[in-house]
Amino acid sequence: MNCYETLFVVKPTLTGEEIEAQIARVKEIIAEEGGDLKATDDMGMRRLAYPIEKQERGYYTVVYYTAPSELVGELERQLRYNEEILRFMTVKYTNKKELSVFEKMVEAANKKASAPKEEPKAEEPKAEETSAPEASEAQSEAPAAEAAAESTEA
Amino acid sequence: MAERRRFKKRYCRYCEQKVDFIDYKDLQMLKFSLSERYKIMPRRLTGNCKKHQEMVTAAIKRARQTALIPYIVDRKRVVENPFELIK
Repeated sequence: MNCYETLFVVKPTLTGEEIEAQIARVKEIIAEEGGDLKATDDMGMRRLAYPIEKQERGYYTVVYYTAPSELVGELERQLRYNEEILRFMTVKYTNKKELSVFEKMVEAANKKASAPKEEPKAEEPKAEETSAPEASEAQSEAPAAEAAAESTEA
Repeated sequence: MAERRRFKKRYCRYCEQKVDFIDYKDLQMLKFSLSERYKIMPRRLTGNCKKHQEMVTAAIKRARQTALIPYIVDRKRVVENPFELIK
């Protein structure tokens, strides 16, 4: 069993439910193939640094898991076939230093997931603007607002 | 020798912070080693040590692949998005 981290970007054209379905599908694959999901980190909708498949934005998700090495091949194969996924990247954590960092990141992701669980739901309607207590949230909101502004200009 | 003394003494910022591993998602960490045009800054300018330069390089390349930071910023894109891309 090795420690892995997979980041994938889902197309922004999908609805919130469909995006969730995609994320659930990835988790399913990990569970099916005998992996152990440690944490998921929703980075949310972000502006892409450069357009991919003519998309300017993407929904970023990171999953941390331990798994046998065969799983990664299978997961990447499925991600590659999936047309709703713009990008993915798997990183393996091997030596001691990397593993300690891996555990820290898992903890951080879990904290992030457990603490502001209600806030992302509140964000979805978009009508109510919370005063964004965390810096990370303010950042995630900013590109969405920019993009919205752009679309109105266009 | 006289010329050499004009320069500030360079040190590795990552060593100073005792960084063991640079995560490609941590853009603040990468920012220091990027130029305005998102090129990887050479070691002779940043003062990074060899070990950390290699880590940073790998992380930057990963971040580029995942569209977290751009590969290039040319004249067109400089006007469009000056520095907001990195958060």
